[in-house]
Amino acid sequence: MAALVGAGARVGMNYLKHYGRQAISGQADSDALQERNASEVFRAFSELKGGPLKLAQMLSIDQSLLPPAYAKQFARAQYSTPPLSYPLVVRTFRREFGKDPRDIFDTFEPQAAHAASIGQVHRATLRGRAFAVKVQYPGVAESLRSDLGVVKPIALQILGLRERDVAAYFKEVEARLLEETDYEKELHSAMELSTACAHLPQIRFPEYHPEFSSRRVITMDWMIGEPFDVFADGPALQDHRNRIGQALWDFYAYQIHHLRHFHADPHPGNFLINGDHLCVLDFGCTKTIGPDFYSKQFAFLDPTLETNPARLAAAMESMDILLPSDTPAQRNHLTELCKKSLELLALPFRMGQFDFDNPAFMKSIYELGEENQKNGTLRGIRGQRGSADTIYLNRTFFGLYSLLSRLRSCIKTPLPEGLTFK
Amino acid sequence: METRTRIVEAYTNQLREHGAPPLTVHAFCKSLNLAERDFFQEFASLESVESAIWGAWISGLTARLESGAEWKEFSARHRYLTFLFAFTESSLDWRSLMLTRFNPLSPVASPPFLKAFEEHFKAFASDIISHGISTGEIAHRGQLQAVYPAVLYIHFRAVISFLLRDESKRFERTDAFIEKTVAFAFDVIRTQAIDSAFDLARFLAPSTWGKMS
Repeated sequence: MAALVGAGARVGMNYLKHYGRQAISGQADSDALQERNASEVFRAFSELKGGPLKLAQMLSIDQSLLPPAYAKQFARAQYSTPPLSYPLVVRTFRREFGKDPRDIFDTFEPQAAHAASIGQVHRATLRGRAFAVKVQYPGVAESLRSDLGVVKPIALQILGLRERDVAAYFKEVEARLLEETDYEKELHSAMELSTACAHLPQIRFPEYHPEFSSRRVITMDWMIGEPFDVFADGPALQDHRNRIGQALWDFYAYQIHHLRHFHADPHPGNFLINGDHLCVLDFGCTKTIGPDFYSKQFAFLDPTLETNPARLAAAMESMDILLPSDTPAQRNHLTELCKKSLELLALPFRMGQFDFDNPAFMKSIYELGEENQKNGTLRGIRGQRGSADTIYLNRTFFGLYSLLSRLRSCIKTPLPEGLTFK
Repeated sequence: METRTRIVEAYTNQLREHGAPPLTVHAFCKSLNLAERDFFQEFASLESVESAIWGAWISGLTARLESGAEWKEFSARHRYLTFLFAFTESSLDWRSLMLTRFNPLSPVASPPFLKAFEEHFKAFASDIISHGISTGEIAHRGQLQAVYPAVLYIHFRAVISFLLRDESKRFERTDAFIEKTVAFAFDVIRTQAIDSAFDLARFLAPSTWGKMS
């Protein structure tokens, strides 16, 4: 707790410095201030680990909740958890399997190969086959709920959010987070989704090994490939970028529109690239959507909404974005906002082919978030609107667009097959 | 059965079932149908029986760990962690007894019945410290490092207190407590924090003395 209070204090100090500088030089350096504050908050969150760290990551996804400077810092969170000591890994194995890791595998590296959000991954081999063994931090599941409860009010304060604006949001996030500590469920989702998507030609999944998995441990094949970041920032040719981007788009289109059960964590750390193949690694966060929500949500892709205000209003009402109690002024405001968001977010679908090598596109999405954040009228009427189900769907699309922008891919982005508008 | 083993077993049963040690050697011997002189040839007092029971637990545990295949590769920190995790694992067999005997104690209390427990632990802790110093993991600090085993013993007792209060499933919070506190402790003895603290104390203490006189 002290860590967070400390961040609050440091954020305060940075404001003092900012106002001091402004008083003397007559000009404010607002961006720099925000960057500094973001890194303080981030430091506090990453000192806390576990629940709060995940909360920070979640908050970083909804751009209307967080200014980009915060989002940037939080996006780093995935890489900053401290390693579990080897004796604790052994202890976990003994408890889960009744054996030491080295009694199960021929080799087991005592140093973690890399961190996962609530655990870490060790490399192991057995009879010439290499495995990635993910071990969860002990006590994470137990402490998560209480951590969130304690951290929430402080996080809201530091980030300048109001509890009632984000109550549904927190509830959904908490549910997904608790799910993420359930390795048995993750193993199940991973095996189910990887089987359902096995026919996609360019997507690869590790094989999962239930016999070496438990509540706290998941074992899968060790995958070889280039980390997504390295590939995206490297010298890959445009043609190659397009192929990988298309595979990524098709993978998500198939899950969302066909399976309606999807990998809801499109984060660079969850993908590897090997030649023309995209390997998908982590199924800790998946989301299932029902047919009712699906048809209401994707009704927004209807191209006639742009020119037909009545249809747009109907779509918004069906999702409770517009409520019967709204004043005409509020209706107008929300409708304008919705139009603006649609113009931007549905753009790839509308074009049918889209070049993500377009920094202006991502920048406009960020700016829209910024604008919403600063928009006083909007905050006044935001309340409990829309469906909590949209949170992870938005997160997934936002993540997908960010990944495609990093890849600078130009790909086919058709409307979902079989989608009809009433 | 050997007299010593008989005494230890009867004593343990008495503790487990009645939650308290026997009142007198006489009554204890009577219940065992044993001559007092036979008792005193093995143990000097009732406390020393209990001390032997808890001590044997620790020495048995450390002996088993030290003969393990991976023990030699482990750093001091890993050795200490391994000990604590083995201890919490093994404590499942002892938990009811520990709840009776440790719960009423302050974590710094040093009752006679824990004499051998403390001695065995400190001997083991000194070995860990010397190993840490030989590998450079722990800074060499002359006289100061003589208190390290005592500091680790206080930590160990704090772990026991935490474990006995832990209500989480499979005592996972205790695992996290151990991991975090050991990381902290070894960070402190690796860096100059202790030296700085003593330096500060030396600086402050004379002036305090000066004002008081």
